[in-house]
Amino acid sequence: MDPPLVNDSSFSAANPSSYTLSEIWPFPVNDAVRSGLRLAVNSGRVFTRSEHSGNKDVSAAEESTVTDLTAGWGARKTRDLNSEDDSSKVVSSSSSGNELKESGDKKRKLCGSESGNGDGSMRPEGETSSGGGGGSKATEQKNKPEPPKDYIHVRARRGQATDRHSLAERARREKISEKMTALQDIIPGCNKIIGKALVLDEIINYIQSLQRQVEFLSMKLEVVNSGASTGPTIGVFPSGDLGTLPIDVHRTIYEQQEANETRVSQPEWLHMQVDGNYNRTT
Amino acid sequence: MASADKLINTDVPEKDVFALHFLQSLSNLRTQNPLLNSPDKSIDRVKKIKNAAYVSMARAAGGTSRLWSRALLRRAAKDDNKSVRFSRRKRKVTWKISSKRRRSNQRAPVVEEAAERLRNLVPGGGGMETSKLMEETAHYIKCLSMQVKVMQCLVDGLSPN
Repeated sequence: MDPPLVNDSSFSAANPSSYTLSEIWPFPVNDAVRSGLRLAVNSGRVFTRSEHSGNKDVSAAEESTVTDLTAGWGARKTRDLNSEDDSSKVVSSSSSGNELKESGDKKRKLCGSESGNGDGSMRPEGETSSGGGGGSKATEQKNKPEPPKDYIHVRARRGQATDRHSLAERARREKISEKMTALQDIIPGCNKIIGKALVLDEIINYIQSLQRQVEFLSMKLEVVNSGASTGPTIGVFPSGDLGTLPIDVHRTIYEQQEANETRVSQPEWLHMQVDGNYNRTT
Repeated sequence: MASADKLINTDVPEKDVFALHFLQSLSNLRTQNPLLNSPDKSIDRVKKIKNAAYVSMARAAGGTSRLWSRALLRRAAKDDNKSVRFSRRKRKVTWKISSKRRRSNQRAPVVEEAAERLRNLVPGGGGMETSKLMEETAHYIKCLSMQVKVMQCLVDGLSPN
């Protein structure tokens, strides 16, 4: 059970768990891996960005032995472990001062995700696990990719939920209320009513009254129509006028049909029959 | 507001077309049964006239371009097996709404409960989601008021005074 690394011999007796790591990690340890490892150890978190993500929990579990294992860094180890709680940017810059050119990209990502809770200035792409502090920034990031896929543009205000179901539900509710105000303008006397339920009640009442009115008018029309057809049942009406009326209607309908085909929109036939009673309902 | 303008602009209820259709069907009804005079038949005639009024309104509103007029024409075609002309491109997707309605029942109980009553009033409203229902309701209300006005004028004109 001799680990291949050189200066493990001094620590092997104290920490037997370091062997397991060396067995897990059989790769040649270059500087980039070491620095990534060190960063992972310093923060104690699991990073999925770096390529050895499977071993990181092990390395995070045994901090001291891992930092001992990385060979040339023993001198800096104590300092890093002491300054673990202050800003991690200092830690990363101090620990990986010279390898910043080699594996700079990865380390910058790591630093950003480490300091993401603090300021959010170096936040990489789509860190969704930000706390309540950067709420507005998160909503802006959420709202940006939304307009090209649909024309609905929703912007969440402060304190509103920003998951996509809530956004869709809010857009739907806005659309409904917009339509309802348009509907409110149609119905007379409905502008003063406040409250969606009352407005809807008013709309329903209006429709019902209109439908009842249609029924009533069709009853009246039935009387007129049948009275015109069978004259003697309704003796009150002057029968001379009524007897000629439906024929006139029938004849002028076809004239009107021809007129409609030539797109003359104003009917003259109603004036002919009812002699001015039809006053151009608007 | 854009939607209000759109609703107003699309909705020019053709009262001439409605009056034409309605008078035509009235005269058809009159020539169909000139001898029926008993009072139980008059109820039937009232119903027929009412149906004729609704069908004429649906035709005047652009036939099958609207959901409610399409539903009205479909209902009328089902009532009497006379084939009403309408195009065969069905939008069946809007009809099956059961999952959507079940979902929308959980949302805003007051508004959805009122919208449910509204769905029973507007023809074909059972298959609409709520915003579409509002749109169709607006158009339907305009056409209904147009219908009421024209029918009132017909009654005023045809009944002697």
